[in-house]
Amino acid sequence: MPSTIEKNSRVSVEERLFSLVLALIATEIGLTKADILSTVQGYRQRYLPGGDNASLERQFERDKDDIRELGIPLEVVEPPDDPGSNHHLRYRIPKGLYELPADVTFSPDELMLLKLAATVWREGSLSAESRRAMTKLHALGIDSNDPVLGYSPSLRVREAAFEPLSKAMDRGQVVAFLYLKPGEAAARRRQVEPRAVVLHDGRWHLFGTDQEAAATRTYLLSRIVGPVVSVPGASFEAHGEGQGQEALRELEALWTANIAVISARPGSDAAVRLPQGRTPGEMPTHQDASALHLNLHYTDLNVLADELAGYGPEVLVHSPASLRAAVRSRLISVRDAHTDSDRDPHPDAMTGADT
Amino acid sequence: MNGGPALGASDRLTFLLALVPFLMDHDRISVTEVSEHFGVSPDRVRDAVNLIAVSGIPGETRQYLHGDLFDIHWDEFETNDLIVLTHLVAIDDSPRFSAREAAALIAGLQYLSSLPENADVDAIASLMAKLTRSASAAPSQVAVSGTDARSSIAVVQAAVRDGVQIEFDYLNARGEHESRLVDPWRIQSVDRDWYLRGWCHLRAAARTFRLDRMSGLHATDVPTSPRSADAALPETLFEGSASDLDVTVELPPSAVPLLADYAPHGAAGAQADRVRRTLRVAHYHGLKRLVTGLAGVVEVVDPAEARAVVREWAAAGAARYDEAEPTDVGD
Repeated sequence: MPSTIEKNSRVSVEERLFSLVLALIATEIGLTKADILSTVQGYRQRYLPGGDNASLERQFERDKDDIRELGIPLEVVEPPDDPGSNHHLRYRIPKGLYELPADVTFSPDELMLLKLAATVWREGSLSAESRRAMTKLHALGIDSNDPVLGYSPSLRVREAAFEPLSKAMDRGQVVAFLYLKPGEAAARRRQVEPRAVVLHDGRWHLFGTDQEAAATRTYLLSRIVGPVVSVPGASFEAHGEGQGQEALRELEALWTANIAVISARPGSDAAVRLPQGRTPGEMPTHQDASALHLNLHYTDLNVLADELAGYGPEVLVHSPASLRAAVRSRLISVRDAHTDSDRDPHPDAMTGADT
Repeated sequence: MNGGPALGASDRLTFLLALVPFLMDHDRISVTEVSEHFGVSPDRVRDAVNLIAVSGIPGETRQYLHGDLFDIHWDEFETNDLIVLTHLVAIDDSPRFSAREAAALIAGLQYLSSLPENADVDAIASLMAKLTRSASAAPSQVAVSGTDARSSIAVVQAAVRDGVQIEFDYLNARGEHESRLVDPWRIQSVDRDWYLRGWCHLRAAARTFRLDRMSGLHATDVPTSPRSADAALPETLFEGSASDLDVTVELPPSAVPLLADYAPHGAAGAQADRVRRTLRVAHYHGLKRLVTGLAGVVEVVDPAEARAVVREWAAAGAARYDEAEPTDVGD
């Protein structure tokens, strides 16, 4: 086995990946897979000249994916004299696309803001990405001012769908999931091209193209009730930048246009909690002895109807009529579902389910 | 900054790729300084330097000869814990961000941008543009509308900064109003919900308060008392209580995830189109709101008392619409 540095035959994963990145940056014309497996540190120790290197090849495929996940532009070059040939594909990392652009710099204040932005994702989704982004920023050697103390804003996406949806979106992969639409009692399967995942009015939404309806739809992540699965072989062209902003603009326009007029019992949960962040001005419209009158913005009638129904007698909806009817019918259905007939207190009687 | 969770190979590779250009810009730097700058342990720095120093490219000979490898001043490293790179290979700049890394920072900035002290919209926009330009692919389309800049956030934040007590009327989760006097320690958010953590003088204990349950909030001019050592901040926002009640509900299997916050357990009737689950709830005050807010989906089956509480809540709500017919029917 050719080797000038004697090492244990176990080369750590990061050493193998680091060596692969260095080798692919250093090459102008690219290296073939055979070059890589037979010469690069971490592969060459396990390479069998003329033998079966299938497991090593699979290792290389996984390593390529891992490296690309980190934002490293690993390119495949087809040989001009032999296009379509798998054997002579060459791999390289163009240095100009690898490096941070030379003219990008960050001030200490900007770095402080970025630190705070990274800590927003301190747990769960995107926390690993934030951490790695900060490591890359630290390479620039800028000393930052310290973020404000006593203050820790965070985003902690509770919905399990976030991770698979955002990854499928980056790969242009069509997904399918069960969706329990607000206002409906049963979930239905949806097949969607995911275009953006956005937080609006405190709720995470998926913005995408519903393939069955062939139209743009917005879904609440909290209402995706099953696993998000990739649809085999179904991919789509990325819609490009600005999808997230477009989704937010649409939601914002809806939110601004929809106004519900309600009154809430003074001092109740509804009166204390509903006005926060929802009313057009800072203050509720007006209050008399028996009620606090509020105008509430909302995005989705059924979502607001669910929320308002939860407040029971603390809230009375005045308009729109559709919202008033939706809240009233929810309250009646809950009342009736929890009313036992004298003879048969068995709950199956109410739901109609017989086993 | 703490050591963080277990670091995968991706994190370690990123650290190696970031450390090389940093060391190039610092002719001679101590392990301690590097560890402080990157927020990692000194041992992790030493491990990385040891690895970099023996790494390189296969080279012309494909033999990883000496000139194809990084090198360091070994005496300085081993004797004085100082890092001096003496030979460089292949890379000399920090790598770009991945699409998701750039998106994470951009979304974080969007989330912060509506808060009072980050209100410099132009500065944030220019920062986002820089991040976009520094990514190797278009940032993932994850976008966040600003958290609502409630005046209460600014009041609490100023009180934390100035070290003064705050006073407010608090509507607790059982629907009871109490006047509270609190030493504010930290203001914290999770998505759209904001929380204050601090010392509650009424309870003489560390407590967490939701900002949307406060009214009449104002800062006093009384300085906060020095924080005693035993008043450590618990890491979790919420804890269960021994007085929690078990309630059995029935719902379609697909709706079970909607109750994830209430730790549903039990799996009777798994093949039916309705399944039963048992929830832990702190009190019926919250349960009746939860169930009524999921009309047509969730039904309480047991205990009878819980069914009755929910029924009366919904009935009282429905009755309000019988009293007052709207003037704008057909609108």
